Amino acid sequence: MKKSIVIAAVLTAAVSCQSLKEEFQPVVTPGYDNPAPYRYYTDADFGKIITIAELAGQYTPEKPFEMPKDKDILKGAVIKGVISSTDQPGNFYKSFFIQDETGGMEIKVGKNGLYNDYLPGQTVYVKLDGLTLGMYGYKTGNYGGMGMVQVGFSDPSGEYETSYMEISYFIDRHVFRGNPNDLHPVQPKVITEDELPNAKTDTQKSNANVGRLVTLKGLRYDNEIFCLLYLDSNKDKKAAENRVFLSDSNGVDTEYGKTHGVTTWAMSKDKMTYYIEQGLWDTCKVGSGSTYAKKPDGSDLTLGDLKGDGTYPGVEKAAYSVSQYFRMGSTVIQIRTSGFSKFSDREIPEEVLDGTKTVDVTGVLSLYQGSIQFTVNNISDFAVDGKPLE
Amino acid sequence: MRKAILSFALLLLAVAAVAQGFTGGITATVVNRSGRLPIEGAKVVLTQGDEAVASVTTGPDGKFGFSGLDNGSYTLSVEAEDFVGTQINVLVEKGFVRDLVFVTLSPSSSIKEDIDDSNFAEFDLTDTGYSDAPTILFGSNDVYSKVAGYGFSAVRFKNRGYNSETEDVYLAGVKMNDALTGYSPYSLWSGLNEAMRSKDTAMGLETSEYGVGGFNGMTNISGIPSSVRPGWRFSVLSNSALYRLRVMANYASGQLDNGWSYAFNVSARVGGNDWVKGVYYKSLSFYGGVEKKITDEHRLALIAFATPGERGAQNASTQEVYDLMGDNMYNSNWGYQNGKVRNSRVRRTFEPVIALKYDFTPSDGFSASATALYRTGKNGYTALDWYDAMDPRPDYYRNLPSYSYFEDEDYNRSNDEKAAWATEMWNRNYPKTYANYQHLNWDRLYNVNYNNKDGRSKYALEERHVDQNDLNFAGSFKWRLTDFMKVNGGLSLKWNRTENYKSVNDLLGGRYYLNVDQFAERDFAANEALIQNDLDYFLRNGAAQKMEKGGKYGYDYLAQIRRAKAWANAEFNKGGFSATVAASLGYESFWREGLVRKGLFAGLDDNGDEIVYKGVTLTSYDQYGRVITSKGKSGVSRFLTYSGKLGLAYTLNGSHRFSANLGYFNDAPTFNQAFISARTRNSIIDGLTTIKSFSTDVNYEFSANGFSGRITGYCTKIMDQTDVMSFYDDSQQSFTNFAMTGIDQRHMGIELGVKVPLFVDGLSASGVLSWGDFIYTSTPHMVQTVDNSAKIVREEDVKYWKSHPEFKKTTIGGIEVYDQDADGYIVKRQIRHHVPSTPQLAAELALNYRYNYWFFEVNGQYFAHSYLDMNPLYRTSFACAGGDGVETPQEIEAMASQEEFAPAFLLNASVGKSWYINRKYNIGFSLEVKNILDNRNVRTGGYEQTRLIKSTGKDRYYPFDPKYFYMQGANYMLNLYFRF
Repeated sequence: MKKSIVIAAVLTAAVSCQSLKEEFQPVVTPGYDNPAPYRYYTDADFGKIITIAELAGQYTPEKPFEMPKDKDILKGAVIKGVISSTDQPGNFYKSFFIQDETGGMEIKVGKNGLYNDYLPGQTVYVKLDGLTLGMYGYKTGNYGGMGMVQVGFSDPSGEYETSYMEISYFIDRHVFRGNPNDLHPVQPKVITEDELPNAKTDTQKSNANVGRLVTLKGLRYDNEIFCLLYLDSNKDKKAAENRVFLSDSNGVDTEYGKTHGVTTWAMSKDKMTYYIEQGLWDTCKVGSGSTYAKKPDGSDLTLGDLKGDGTYPGVEKAAYSVSQYFRMGSTVIQIRTSGFSKFSDREIPEEVLDGTKTVDVTGVLSLYQGSIQFTVNNISDFAVDGKPLE
Repeated sequence: MRKAILSFALLLLAVAAVAQGFTGGITATVVNRSGRLPIEGAKVVLTQGDEAVASVTTGPDGKFGFSGLDNGSYTLSVEAEDFVGTQINVLVEKGFVRDLVFVTLSPSSSIKEDIDDSNFAEFDLTDTGYSDAPTILFGSNDVYSKVAGYGFSAVRFKNRGYNSETEDVYLAGVKMNDALTGYSPYSLWSGLNEAMRSKDTAMGLETSEYGVGGFNGMTNISGIPSSVRPGWRFSVLSNSALYRLRVMANYASGQLDNGWSYAFNVSARVGGNDWVKGVYYKSLSFYGGVEKKITDEHRLALIAFATPGERGAQNASTQEVYDLMGDNMYNSNWGYQNGKVRNSRVRRTFEPVIALKYDFTPSDGFSASATALYRTGKNGYTALDWYDAMDPRPDYYRNLPSYSYFEDEDYNRSNDEKAAWATEMWNRNYPKTYANYQHLNWDRLYNVNYNNKDGRSKYALEERHVDQNDLNFAGSFKWRLTDFMKVNGGLSLKWNRTENYKSVNDLLGGRYYLNVDQFAERDFAANEALIQNDLDYFLRNGAAQKMEKGGKYGYDYLAQIRRAKAWANAEFNKGGFSATVAASLGYESFWREGLVRKGLFAGLDDNGDEIVYKGVTLTSYDQYGRVITSKGKSGVSRFLTYSGKLGLAYTLNGSHRFSANLGYFNDAPTFNQAFISARTRNSIIDGLTTIKSFSTDVNYEFSANGFSGRITGYCTKIMDQTDVMSFYDDSQQSFTNFAMTGIDQRHMGIELGVKVPLFVDGLSASGVLSWGDFIYTSTPHMVQTVDNSAKIVREEDVKYWKSHPEFKKTTIGGIEVYDQDADGYIVKRQIRHHVPSTPQLAAELALNYRYNYWFFEVNGQYFAHSYLDMNPLYRTSFACAGGDGVETPQEIEAMASQEEFAPAFLLNASVGKSWYINRKYNIGFSLEVKNILDNRNVRTGGYEQTRLIKSTGKDRYYPFDPKYFYMQGANYMLNLYFRF
């Protein structure tokens, strides 16, 4: 009894000493020393490093799974790659791509400003235990095809096959940085049309260019865009009555045809407001092929009907992503750019739009519902006459 | 009866004296300043030159008289225990008995004087989310005021529910309330308890010698050397609620034979407390003053003081965070840097005040004084700033389990596995392992900055400055016109120029911070000019400015305030009746003067032309076609202010007093309530007008045979207040400004304080009750603008501000549903919304024992009906309707209802003793233990967040969790002092 009292007293004293010490630290510390740089990781810290293609090979469409579940090869496995994308100009968001010799993989980290913590060109190790392998953009049927195999967290809602990791503690136990002072910025591989993946069947497993940073040369403008607008994003975004497709089949009966007059890579809120107030999309119907919103007289509602005093009060002014269609030979390449990117409002050079010149593009090659989608890091990834755009 | 005989006899004596020849006399009643109750046992000494002529001690009625005096001038010194003594020059002539009517004494602090109540007044509560400091400077002997002022401070009790700006605080005759916010300025002299001890307090609607005052009392701190208690005094104080240690030294000379007096007071406050980690003090305080009585007529005093130092602030979190940490005092502001505790929110101040006071006393019937006072210096407050990087706050909502998983499916958060990881991150059983997740991760901030090889900091510590230059002049006079009438009056002038700006406090391992607006960049990434915080620099240099440590960035503007006021009080006394009439008339103007040109609101250039950058016109206009500008002088807001008061009182038998007061006030709004977004532009809110208040009270006081007490009933209406706030609105997906006008509130209630002597000598009991009903009574109007463009996005009445409906429910087939009739849902009743952040019911019962310089006190306190501060966005019809635009009972009740905090019971005790050694030295101690039952679940305040959660079907919104502040658990304060 006596002993335990003594122990308790000593413990209490020790604890209060510690807390008293910490209490006075801000008072007595004249200037805080800079913390040491982070410890970084090397191959020696990990047991089994597998390739991205090997990992992608474990995936079967519509069957996402949490690793290492039932896949012995994935037990304790790590993938290693160099970061090829950056979210700094805002065209990538909350995730980054890493690539090795066999392919590229999106790591769905789920934080803003990732380029601050994970530098382009930095080696990253991703410990797979507890992560989920899934695909984004898979679509069945004749008009469908492959999407991208991704690494993320499980998504029990079933909305997507993976979700973002988001929780710092989880991220820090799964994503490990290599030496920040030994960066090897990815040199994009120039590929030909033949080397492009078959978007119906290929994944990172079967085509090493999928998910990697590549350069496509001589792309010709295809006079078509795709963009999905919402009347009110505070309402159900999936409801047809809330959607307006700027597509190849809606409102194309204008002088602009399938381009809908959109001459920028994407549109910021400002630019979108400008476009719509020009009346460019007045003939676009609200809704989709299956359901169109109706006016009281039973006819289809168009954006022009929502013009109001000219400010289109019933249409949400927001930044929107745009897919600008190009052709490499005969293959369609959709260059998709985010309305939140810093270069969203840059005009596509006129000579490119009118077909007199082609454009060379460097970006991450990806697949979406059986199409090839291309995402650039920055405006300078476009080049005309060998000169990067500004 | 005895008293009546005595006074009659006195009167007879006086009459007899007159009859006998040309010798005169002096008579008066010694009364307590607050309440005018007679003071028994006051010692009155009459001197002529250096010679004492006579002395007398007052009886229960407080009256005294001297007769048989030769013509000539005399000095009357009056002293009483617990009161500040006074001296009066009296001229006796032509054999008249001079009836001074009243000699008023101001209460000094009570025997608890060494427990420094004002220590606790220095929480800078605006830092922590509170908008008000507690009202605390009561120094009177009124039982109620003592308890309400000090005893209730732990729960942030606000007297009568009023905000602190309604309490007028004067120093040496100059009103010191903050020019921009109106807040009480206690922090200017915190730690100088001795120098600032002598004060004079008027309660409620009472007037004072320093001004007309408002409806929440006024306090004048003397502050001059002759009012500081003479002698040396040293003290050491330790407490576990605020800061660990205070040491203080004080000396005052009293008035020396040569007419000089001087005093100084120094103290240091250091350390943290038992409850909130990261909160600390590192403050010094200095006071010095000299005073010279030049002749009997002229007296001059010069004082200067400052409280340089820094202190770490506390932050509020949601209950989810507190529960995860198992600690309602969790503070998200700090983290470990190299293993040492570092707070990101540190208030750093150095605001010296210098004042010169002149007193002129040409006769015993007239005196005047004038004070010039200047306040200057720096007042900064650090906070983390970041550019295009992760939110570094550990308790950011996305770091919490509730962001991934919520039981109610309508929240669309179903990832329980992710929530489990988040819960593990907040596992409190491994504080070391998870320190960098549960607290600020300084290491990460530095490492991110290290990653930028060109030295650009993505994280930096900014310091938000509010640097005042405040020059004041106040002159006043006291004039006794006749035996029954006294007049006070005065004039005050204020000139204030305050610079508001941010500076770089610490680059956290980087070499510069870029002066651009990242919120602007969200909307205008494509236009580099629009995102500039300093457009002129950008246009000159073609690039944004790189800020080094100490550089001003972000915003920089002056608040310019001018104020003039004239006032007069007249007091009439006849028999037991007294009446007071008071009025003031003033003029106030203020304007903003932008010192930098912001890209978003470029305005016109120096030649009055539009500003164009790369073909894009940057100049923008508001809905009236006026240029929106960030640089240069704004329009000037001008206000005529006035107030009037009337008071009546009747004193019966010297022990009962009945009084009633009423007042009407027309006050200017403060600078901080006038601009939509003072940070960025010159725009003033539409419909800015004066605040009108009407207040009345009725009082009964008694004091006899050791019994004393007071009961007061009051009612106050405050009308036409405005409020501005800025916040991120999810429905607009942008940062917005919210300007609310036409806020009315009504405060009414009852105050009761009673002191009763018990059967044992020295033992007494006291009881205090404050019951109030403080509610909002209007439906304010709001205008919401986008901060980036000044564009109005919403303009409507805040429908559910003053109340929201409770709907009738019925049971159909065993399921409870909202009942409907042909007109829709049936409203059962309206639930009123209350003025927040103070208990509207507060009570204390105390037992007090004093014996041979010992004192003991035990008290129990009960608090209830305290409410959470409301965010107006949630009370709009828009927020209650959700995405589908339809308001339902469920939505209204979830969004618009106001949270009432649970009642609280507290037990406190104190003990003290002082010893005299050789009648010269005095040592003593006092120990107070508060919240003995260690109740850690008492919410004292907080605020609602402004963000919205969209439901799965996007048909409705859910509110974010509110953030709370809690009262500390058991805490002590020990004070040791030595005096000679």
